[in-house]
This record gives sequence, C-alpha cells and structure tokens, in this order.
Amino acid sequence: MTPTTAPRASGVTDPRVLTLGPRVAVVVRPRPVVVAITFVAVTLLAGLVTLAVGELGIAVGELPRVLAGEGSRAQEWVLFTSRAPRLGVAALAGASFGVAGAIFQSVTRNPLGSPDVIGLGAGAAAGAAAAALVWPGYVSVPVGALTGAALAITAVYLGTGRGFAAPHRMVVVGIAVGAMSLAFVQLALVRTSRESAQQVAVWLTGSLAARAVEHVVVVGLVLAVLLPCALALTRPLQMAEMGDDLATGVGVPVRATRTLAVVVAVLLTGAAVSVTGPIAFVALTAPQIARRLTRSTGPGMIAAACCGAALLVLADLLAQQLIPGIILPVGVVTAGLGGVYLAFLLVREWKRVAV
Amino acid sequence: MAYDEAPVIDGLDLAVERGSFTVIVGPNGCGKSTLLRALARTMRPRAGRILLDGAPIAGMRGKEVARRVALLPQSPIAPEAITVGDLVARGRFPHQGLLRQWSPDDARAVAAALEATETVELRERLVSSLSGGQRQRVWLAMALAQETEVLLLDEPTTFLDVSHQVEVLDLLTDLNRRRGTTIVMVLHGINLAARYADHLFAMCEGRLVASGAPGDVVTSDLVRQVFGLDALVMPDPVSGSPIVLPRGRHHVVEVAVQRLDHVVVARHAEVHIPGGDTFRDVGGALEQHQRPR
Repeated sequence: MTPTTAPRASGVTDPRVLTLGPRVAVVVRPRPVVVAITFVAVTLLAGLVTLAVGELGIAVGELPRVLAGEGSRAQEWVLFTSRAPRLGVAALAGASFGVAGAIFQSVTRNPLGSPDVIGLGAGAAAGAAAAALVWPGYVSVPVGALTGAALAITAVYLGTGRGFAAPHRMVVVGIAVGAMSLAFVQLALVRTSRESAQQVAVWLTGSLAARAVEHVVVVGLVLAVLLPCALALTRPLQMAEMGDDLATGVGVPVRATRTLAVVVAVLLTGAAVSVTGPIAFVALTAPQIARRLTRSTGPGMIAAACCGAALLVLADLLAQQLIPGIILPVGVVTAGLGGVYLAFLLVREWKRVAV
Repeated sequence: MAYDEAPVIDGLDLAVERGSFTVIVGPNGCGKSTLLRALARTMRPRAGRILLDGAPIAGMRGKEVARRVALLPQSPIAPEAITVGDLVARGRFPHQGLLRQWSPDDARAVAAALEATETVELRERLVSSLSGGQRQRVWLAMALAQETEVLLLDEPTTFLDVSHQVEVLDLLTDLNRRRGTTIVMVLHGINLAARYADHLFAMCEGRLVASGAPGDVVTSDLVRQVFGLDALVMPDPVSGSPIVLPRGRHHVVEVAVQRLDHVVVARHAEVHIPGGDTFRDVGGALEQHQRPR
C-alpha cells in the first residue's frame, strides 16, 4: 500500500495569513481564491454569451447602450425581462445549490451525500406536487416546495434514529425518503388533469424559463444572509469531518454545528428549489469539482458557490442553444452531465477499492 | 454512563493525580473506552459528575475544556490529501477563533509538537502516504499541539507493530517526565501497561476493580478476576515491573528459576530441559532429580 516514492503535496510550510490589526488574522490560501475568481470569470463569460446568441441576442458591444436605456424596445425586453433575470436566477440558484451541497457532503462525510441524493430535492418536488395538484389553492407552489423539503429532512432526522450524528445512516434513509417522495409525485401526476399535471411535470425537471426579477431577489437575499453563516461554519465542519470524538476533543460543539449547518443547507436548497424546481446534480457536482480543483481539505463554501453558479449558467446556455429551436429544461442538461460525472466518481471509487 | 439504553458503567469513582501516567486496563467491553470518553467530554454521564481540578466539566465551554484536556481517539479519520503540517495545525483550534485563525503562538506550538514526535521531516508529506507508526506519531503531534495539561489516549498502540508501540509509549513517558503532562491512557496490553504506568485502574464489567501502582495491582489473582485468565505474574527481567505470563492449554512448562515471594506456582511438574538436567519443582524450590546420560 505504501508507494515507493512518497508523493509530496504542494503548499507552504506556514499558512499565508491576512492580518487586519491585532485581533484579526485570517488564513488565506491562494489556490482557492484563484479558483473562485476563475469560476466567476467563467460565469460572466457564459452570461455574456447567453445574452448575445440567437436571433434575439444582444451583441456584447451593444450591451452598455441597452443597459443605459437607449436600446430598442425588443432589446430591452430581451435583456431585462427575459434573459437577465434568467441569468441572475441561474447564477444565484447555482451558488445556493453549490453551498448546500458542500455542507451536506461535509456533514455526511460522503461525496454522494448531497441534497438531491438524500431526498431534499425529491421532498421539495413532492411538496410542490401536493400544493399544485393534490390540494390546489391552499398554498403557492414555492411554499409547498419549501414545506416538502423541510418535511423530508425531518423524516431523515427521525429515520436515522440518531439525528444527524450518523452520516452513513443519513444517506441511506435519505435515499428511502427520496424514493417515497418521488412515488408520491408520480401518484399525484397520474391522478390529476392533464394540463396541471403537464405544468407541474415541467417544473419538476427544473427549469429556468420565465423567471422574473422577484425570483432573483428571493434567491439573492437568502444567499446573502446564509452564505456568511456557511462561511463561519467552515472550520468547525472541517474539524467534524475528522470524527465526532476528535472534533469534540478540540472544542467543536459537534451537534450544534451539524444541526445549524443542516438548517442552513435546507433553507438554501428550499429557496433555490422554490424558484427553479429541483435541478438535479448541481449540488452534487459543484462542491466536488471545487474541492478537487482547490485541493482543499474541508468544505470550501466560496469555491463551491462560484462553481455552482458557473455550472448552472453553462448548463442553461447549453439548454437554450444545444438543439436549435428547442429550449430544453435546464434540469435535463444537468442530469445528463451529472450522470456522466456520477459514473466517473463511482468508477474512481471502485478502482481505489480494487487496488 | 450508557449508550442507548443499557448502562455501561455503573457506580464508578476514581481520581487521576496530576502529573501521573495513568493507564486503564480491562477486557473488551468493560467500559474503559466509555470512561475515557466521559473524561474527554465526548460522552455525557447519565448521573454523576466529571471534575477537572475540582470544577465540573459539564459547565465549561467546549474550547475551554479543549485547552486543558486533549483526546486522541481510537480511529481518527484523516481528511483526504492533507499534509502532516496542516493536520497538526488543526490541533490549535481551541486556541483560535473565527477571526483569529493563526498566530505566532500557533506556529511555535506546531513546530514544538513536530519536534517532540520526531516528525519534522514529514511535515510536507501527505498523511495518507505514511506508515502506521508514522501516522500515529502525527496524530499524537496534533494532540500535543493543543498544549494541554492533560492528554487522554484511547488505545494508541492497537494497530502498531511492537517497535512502534514502544516508540509511542516512550514518547509519552518523555512528555510526562519533562513537561509534567498528565497522561491517561486506555491500553489493551497489560504487560506494556504495567511497565509504563505509574498508576493502574483495572476495570471489569463497568466497575473499578483495582487501583494503584502496577506492582500492587497486577497479581495473578487480579488477572484471573478481571480477565478470567490463569497466569503467572513475575517481575519482568527488563524493567522490573510485573509481567503477566498466561497459562493456556498448551505449551505450559513450569520452571521456578528464583524463589520469589509473590510467585505462586500452581502445579508440581517435571521439567526436562533438552540436553540438560531434569528438575522437579517441589514447593517452590527446585530439586535436581536426574542427570541425563
């Protein structure tokens, strides 16, 4: 098992510290910063391309004019009503999914332990189906989605028998809860009228169509409030990944940290899902890609957020432009790409175990 | 103290002296790990209290306890792709805050911990690439970087081969003698425990059976009571501390080489040393019986 030449990790002997006065010293690693900035650049670039392509596109050179209010009515509609909100939602929801995924994967100590896998997404879908089809008119679909997500996570908490303290149990129970939620959704779809079922079916695959500014605001606000919380939880979560005993021995309040982290992740997922529908695989893949690129040893919230934003914006671009004339729901694209990535992850695990 | 429903430890009173090297021994399932976890505050007792220097631990904040008591649990999980230096630096967590994430004190403590465990040259290496003995020294360095007055260890030698076991225990003895760190350890092997400990606690089925210096505590009666093992206990020729020599169903040959006060030879046996003399052991003294032809 021991290799003949010991692999050397790149890194400095002492961490680079950013000090602001005598009481503030924050460890800054250059690599994650570079990675995050790169992802933001990718997001912006993809955003510009999204705005520029197609018959209704606005060329990059003309953007400043349109932004200043001097473009034609058509251009203004395309920019402000159609594409910009859609972009905003894609970036912010992608970031929310990324952070929620990073938190869940850290808490479950499992790269597969993301909100979509452990039943949050399916729970939100079941909530939405309940609100739209089974008991229509009581609550709006987004509220139903949030409630569904909250119920799903509560079911996971109760189902493990030990709350969130047993990561492997969480994954197993989460898969069960997800399966049951999806069964409920199928039942609802089968038993209701075709039109409403079709609407909900479209929503269920995750779509960014017809997003408005208020959607951007909702997701943006939730992210703005919860991202700092997630950042503050990064170091305790890092310690908790090494085992509950060791973390407690170092002074981390493990139960409180875990519970708070899960609440933050559920709120982030709920807000994003309520606006976009359950988009699969962003929460699963973004934190992993970010972690691998930054070579970090803990949940990197900022990198995961930027990666999630980039992924979803790119996926949306593909969804709109891949098949000429047809706009795919973005969930279809993420599921396709995500499936490939999942297969890659699993093969890697098998290879490692086999060796 | 209980996991789920059944109590694991019931009615236990013990006191650990400051600056001592204390070892807890006992058979599997006797509750020694549970006891250690209670001391480390990773488990809360259903009844009773844990006191650190007279003050109850339960009331103290987590980081406050962590600055005074460090725990090295049995199977810690190393994150993927972490270097030795980073892992040891994590031990400084109780001395840091959200905005005070690194200080010259931290750097000094990490360097001292690496030196004490002789892992300085491993600093840039990935923990996953180290051997078992090296890895255990690195975990120990992390616990040392915490700079506490008390160090709790749960079976730190279990997966190590013998040379590494002795290495780790010698290191801990250095710490205990040079820095006065109070060490409380759960050990599986009673012989090493008897050799290294100042003070032994023997547990059986959740109760404290014996407490005291190894010379007083480790007797064949105690070994029979706690482990259910028939054994000869005599001073170890290397260190002078008691050594437990089990009598199983095979390979038992009785030779009382010296007359020792607390050695009880349970059977009379005829001993034939190949190529040498035959002795019969009579009442603790040897009587030469027959010479070979």
